Amino acid sequence: MPGLTYDAGVGAAVVDSGADGPPEPSAAELHLLVTRVVRARVGNHPAAEDLVQETVARVLAASDRIDGGIEAYAVTTARNVIATMWRDEARFQRYQPRMVDLDEPDAPDMGVLAGEDQVAVRRALESLSVQERSLLLAHEVDGTSLATLAAREGTTAGALGAQLRRLRARMRAEYLIVASHREPPTERCRPVLVAVALRDQRRWREAGVDDHLAGCDFCADVAGPLLESSQQDSGRVAIDVAKDHDVVEARVAVRRLAADLGFDRSDVTLVATVVSEIARNIVKFAERGRMTFEPARSRPGIRIVARDRGPGIEDVELAMRDGYTTYGGLGLGLPGARRIMDEFDIESVPGRGTTITMTRYRKDTR
Amino acid sequence: MNDTFTEPGSWDHAPAEDLEQLLPQLVAHLRERRAVLQEQWSARIQEAHLLEAMTPQEIAAETESVYDNYVEVLETGSVEALQDYARDLSERIIPRGVETHEVVGIVLLLRDVLARSLFEKYQQDFDLLNRVLDAYEPAANRIANTVAVSFVDERERVIRQQQDALRELSTPVLPVRERLLVLPIIGVLDGERARQLTEQLLDGIRRHRAKVVVIDITGAPEVDATVANHLVQTVDASRLMGASVIITGLSPTIAQTLVTLGVDLSKMNTIGDLQGGLEEAERLLGYVVTREEASAS
Amino acid sequence: MDTEPALFSILRQGQVLVASVHTALDDSQLLRLQRDLVGRVGTDRARGIIIDVAALDVLDSFGSKTLRDIAEIARLRGALTVIVGIQPDVAQAMVELGIGTGAVATALDLEEGMAHLAAALGPAWTP
Repeated sequence: MPGLTYDAGVGAAVVDSGADGPPEPSAAELHLLVTRVVRARVGNHPAAEDLVQETVARVLAASDRIDGGIEAYAVTTARNVIATMWRDEARFQRYQPRMVDLDEPDAPDMGVLAGEDQVAVRRALESLSVQERSLLLAHEVDGTSLATLAAREGTTAGALGAQLRRLRARMRAEYLIVASHREPPTERCRPVLVAVALRDQRRWREAGVDDHLAGCDFCADVAGPLLESSQQDSGRVAIDVAKDHDVVEARVAVRRLAADLGFDRSDVTLVATVVSEIARNIVKFAERGRMTFEPARSRPGIRIVARDRGPGIEDVELAMRDGYTTYGGLGLGLPGARRIMDEFDIESVPGRGTTITMTRYRKDTR
Repeated sequence: MNDTFTEPGSWDHAPAEDLEQLLPQLVAHLRERRAVLQEQWSARIQEAHLLEAMTPQEIAAETESVYDNYVEVLETGSVEALQDYARDLSERIIPRGVETHEVVGIVLLLRDVLARSLFEKYQQDFDLLNRVLDAYEPAANRIANTVAVSFVDERERVIRQQQDALRELSTPVLPVRERLLVLPIIGVLDGERARQLTEQLLDGIRRHRAKVVVIDITGAPEVDATVANHLVQTVDASRLMGASVIITGLSPTIAQTLVTLGVDLSKMNTIGDLQGGLEEAERLLGYVVTREEASAS
Repeated sequence: MDTEPALFSILRQGQVLVASVHTALDDSQLLRLQRDLVGRVGTDRARGIIIDVAALDVLDSFGSKTLRDIAEIARLRGALTVIVGIQPDVAQAMVELGIGTGAVATALDLEEGMAHLAAALGPAWTP
C-alpha cells in the first residue's frame, strides 16, 4: 500500500490544520480503524475484507480534499460502503423472485428497483455489438418483422430468427451477471450461462453445462433464475393473500397442485393444513403477502414459498418452539410445519418481512 | 418431468412461417424413406446393445409403431397420442426389465438417424438445412422428453403399486365383531409405516363404523419414545373419528421406560394382553348398547 | 352485518341443534358459525349441539380452536357439543401437526353423534 498521500504533496492549509490538531493516522492505522468499524457492523461477512479495502481506497483517493478529521471521514465512508452492500444484497434477493415472477405485489421501492433494473438491462445491451444491438432493438422495440429485417441484412428470416434467439440468450446471461455484481471467475462461465439461457439441449451438452455448474459456484448462483424460469410453466401457482377468504383460496390451490403431483389424500390434506396456518399468519400479521406453490425440483414433491413484507418475527427461534403463541391461544403453526415438512427454511427481518420456504416430497420418494 | 425445457418459449419461437412450410416437407420426406430409416435405426439399436431383453420380432414391431408415432407428432405438433402410446409401451416392457436409459437411448438414436437423413437431403443448401434443423430439433427433443417422462412415470407407478401392496400385507385391520377392530402390529414401526397404519386404521374405522379399536403391539420388536409417540398420534386420530383405542401387549417395563422418557401415556388405555383388551372392548361396546336400549324403550 | 350467505345451516331437532357445514369455511365464516350457534343455544333452549364438519377441507388451529370455544361456551349455557364427520385425512393432519379438539366429544357421523348425546343426556332427553 502506498504511503498516505495526505502527508506528501498537499497544500499548506492542510499542513496547518494538521499542526493544530492531533496528528493524522498512518495508512496502517487507518486500515486498522476501518477494519474495526467494518467488523463491528458486518461481523465475519465474507465480503468484510472487500469492504475494508473499498473504504480505505476511497479515503485515500479523497484524502487530498479533506481538511483534517480523516478518521471521522473514514468512519462515515465505511458506513456508506456497508449500507451500499446491504442494499445491493437486499436488492439481489428481491431480484431473484422477480426473475421468475414478474408480477410480484407492488411495493413502495418498486420505482427505485425498476430504475436499477434498467441499469442492468442497459449494461447487458452494451455488451452486444452495435450491429447486434440495432438488430435486436429493431425487432423487439420497433416491431420490424423478421422478413423485413432479413431482406435488409441480406439473409433469411430463419437465420435471423436463430441469431436473435442467441442474442436474447446473451442478454439474459449478461443481465444476470451484471445483477450479481460479480465478475465471472473463468472464461467458460459466459458461454455456459448463454447455453443455459438458450435452453437448447445440444448447446447445453456442447458447453458442458452440467459439469461446469457442478464445479462453479458463481454460475450455479447466477444460473438459478434461468433454471427456474425454464420450469416456470410446469404447474406453478401464485396466490395473493390479504383477506380471510384468500386463506381458503390458498388451500384450494395447493390441494389441486399436490393432487396433480401424485400426493395421496392424507398428504394433500396435511399440506393444505400447513398452508392454511401459514396463510393465516400473513393475513393476521403482515396484512398481505404472496404464496407460491410449485413442483419440487429434485424429485416428485411440492415446494411452497410464503413471502410477506410484514413486521417480521422478532425471535424466530422462540416462534419455532412448540406451544408458542402470540394471539388468541394459537400457535403460528410453524413448529408443526417444520416437523412435517422435509425441508423448512424461515427468514425473517424485523420491519422487513418474512419468507418461508418449505418442501414436502411425495412419500414414495421420501 | 421438465418437458418445458425444449419447448419453444415465447422468446424462442422459430418463425411461424418457416414451420408451416418446412414441417410438411420434412414429414413427407421421413414417410417416404420410412423403410430404410427404420432399418438403419434397428441396426443402431442392436449395435448399442439396447433392448436386449426383447426378441428381434418384438423390436421390429415396436420400432415400427414408434417411428410412425414420431413422425405423426412432427406433423401434428401434439404429443398426446405419443404419450398414450409411450405409457402403453412402458407398461408392456417394464415387466421385461427394460431400463430407463434404454428407452431414452432408442428415442435419441431415432432422433439422430432422422436428423442425419435430413442433413443428407438438404446439405446442398446450407441455409435451408439450417432452417430445417431449427424446425426439427425442438420438436425432436420434445418427443424424446415425452417418451422418457412417460416411461419414468409409469415405472414409478409400478414401483409404488408394489410397495403399497407390500405395506397392506403387513398391517391388516381385522374386524373382529360389529364395531370392534383389532390391529396387530408386527415388525418395526417407523415413521412412514406409522402413517400408513394410521391411514388404514382410520379408513377401517369409517368403513366398519368401529367404536373401539384394539391395537396389539406384542409383535413389535422395539417400542421406544418415537414409536410410542406414533401410537399416541394414532390414538388421538382415532378419537377424532369417534373411536376409543385400547393398547395391548405393552409390557410393564416398557411402560415404565416410556413414562421416564416423558411420553404421555395418560391418554392411552393400556391393558396387559390381547385377551384382556378384547374383554375391555366388549365392556365398552356393551355399555353403549345398554344405554341405547335403555333410551329406546 | 353479514352480507354474504352463510356457508353452513343450523337445524333444530327437538332439544338438539344440528349445524352442518357445507364447504370449506374461512375464519370469518367460522366466527359467524360460533356466534349463530351460541345465540341459538339460548333462544332454542337447546341441550345438545352436533356440528357436522364432514365438508371441511381442513381443521387447522383456528378451526379447531373455534370448535373448542363453541363447546366451552355452550357447556356454560347448559348444552353438550359433539363434533361429527371429521374425515380420516383431516384427523391425521390434525394429529401430525399437533392440533387437537381438546376435551370436545367426537363421533363418526350424525347418527353416532345422536347416540352419544342420547347416552350422555340420559332418559330425560327427548329427541
